[in-house]
Amino acid sequence: MLTVKNLSRSFGDIKAVQNISFTADKGEIVGFLGPNGAGKTTTLRMMVGYLQPDSGTIELDGENVFDNPLAASARIGYLPELNPLYNEMTVEEFLRFIAALRKMKEPYLSERLEFVRDNCGLDEVWKQKIGTLSKGYRQRTGLAQAIIHNPDLLILDEPTSGLDPNQILEIRELIRELGENKTVILSSHIMQEVQALCSRVIIIHKGQIIVDDSIENLSSYISETTQIVLELEAENPDFQPWLEQYPQVQLTDIEPKDDHLAFKFTIPIEMDLRKELSAFVSEQGWYLISMYRETQSLEEIFHLLTSEEPFYTEEEEEKEEEEEVIEGEEISSEEVNESEAEPEEETISLRETEEKAQEESSTKEQK
Amino acid sequence: MNPALTIANKEYSLANRSLSTYIIYGVYLLACGIWFALNALKIGAADMRGIFGVMHTLFLFFIPALTMGSIAKERSTGTLELISTLPIKLGHIVWGKFLGVLFQLVTVLLFTLVFVLLISLFGIGVEYGAIFTGYLGLLFAGAAFIAIGMFASSLTDNQVLAFIIAFAISGALFIIGRIGNLIPLKLFATIEYFGFDYHLESFLKGVIDSRDLIWFAAVTIIFILLAQFRLQAQNLSQER
Repeated sequence: MLTVKNLSRSFGDIKAVQNISFTADKGEIVGFLGPNGAGKTTTLRMMVGYLQPDSGTIELDGENVFDNPLAASARIGYLPELNPLYNEMTVEEFLRFIAALRKMKEPYLSERLEFVRDNCGLDEVWKQKIGTLSKGYRQRTGLAQAIIHNPDLLILDEPTSGLDPNQILEIRELIRELGENKTVILSSHIMQEVQALCSRVIIIHKGQIIVDDSIENLSSYISETTQIVLELEAENPDFQPWLEQYPQVQLTDIEPKDDHLAFKFTIPIEMDLRKELSAFVSEQGWYLISMYRETQSLEEIFHLLTSEEPFYTEEEEEKEEEEEVIEGEEISSEEVNESEAEPEEETISLRETEEKAQEESSTKEQK
Repeated sequence: MNPALTIANKEYSLANRSLSTYIIYGVYLLACGIWFALNALKIGAADMRGIFGVMHTLFLFFIPALTMGSIAKERSTGTLELISTLPIKLGHIVWGKFLGVLFQLVTVLLFTLVFVLLISLFGIGVEYGAIFTGYLGLLFAGAAFIAIGMFASSLTDNQVLAFIIAFAISGALFIIGRIGNLIPLKLFATIEYFGFDYHLESFLKGVIDSRDLIWFAAVTIIFILLAQFRLQAQNLSQER
């Protein structure tokens, strides 16, 4: 079990991570989500002991990671951002090198090498130089390196960045399997990834945690209603009788789509009336073309949460003031842009007048 | 196996796979060989002092070329982060890399035994004792050069810059012994002690002086520790 308390770290004036606290249990895959520069990598680097925090503690099963860094790092597997590897080594050599530095001995070493070779799908490239591998295999080699010693805590910094969709699925499957009996923390700036893999998500923005909750609960941060979109082919369909049964439901929109109609119903988030709706449609003898529930995607939630400042606490007021100053600067830069934009408009109007003049002259010529 | 030896082994075997290593070896041996062919064989002297002096001088270019990548390259590719997070000490990394380059130096010095062979074949009155101590001196001096190069490499992630810094520091220590006629004699007597030549002199004469051994060892240890502190400090103040 990992416990992070009040972790902070600045680089000069930049507060990369401010007062972060969270816990992660065994068997949990925690997604660390945030835009680039939010402080994800800084936090992960502190967890693996590569970077000292300014303040705060990181505890692994109650033991502070920085009290005995060597013992702690023996229990942690880490896949750094961009997955650095020794290109001149073969996959086997590289893994043996890492294992040797981790002081792994036979027969355990052979057993683990075999495990990662089979589970990370490295059999084909086992004797191949890392520099010649495709990105997918590189990533697998990086993962193999991180799990070779069967760590309790696995920290993966953007594990699927730069992979093609098939490779992403494979790596995700692998991470999911690994997550069953370990604590896995993975960072990402891709929503689908976190949605597909993680049981819990921590959204970090400007070095602070703004959301720490399960994936399912995430949507509740934003909206209380969801939408069902129904596309059907029918003449003058009337939903009034059905709507009378469910007073909470509203028909919010009807729009024509190709040769059929799309109906949008707004319903409370806890209700799922798709079954009832389709039953009603078939009763009426209408042709149902498609029906889907529009949940707010993680993307939207993420965007809403990180583009504004939805959660204000009293502590943040000081910060707010600082930000106002920054905003003031932004405004001034916008003004500059506007003043730049004006001459553009003038040039356009000039062009227009020129064109008009040309037209006039051409009409004159015709005359 | 000690983690430092594991790293030394990796450094050495990776260096042996790199074409650039062979080019550096080749240029060094060629330069030494040309000097040897032009001078030693003509005079027919059974003396290695001249060629040792040249080998030592060429260390100025040769060793920074070997060490420039040792830390700088690993930092720029990110593998330094990888091995820094393994359960080993930073000291293991730095000393391991030092040993790796030292093995490379030994490898190259083994090739120069050809000169000894030629001298023993064609020379008269070969002093094998002085040759042995000469090699020992070169090894100690080389270790000091390597430590300086490692320190330079730890300062930056730019290999060219690492080369220049290493060249500047070791060049300063090298030149001290050769500026005797530029500065007052009294002052020279003091600062001469800090030059490589001064400490290499007795080795070349066939004498092993513990003070010289200690001096080279001290330079080596100081610069390796500086490199290690530099890596530690970076973990504290890294700007990324």
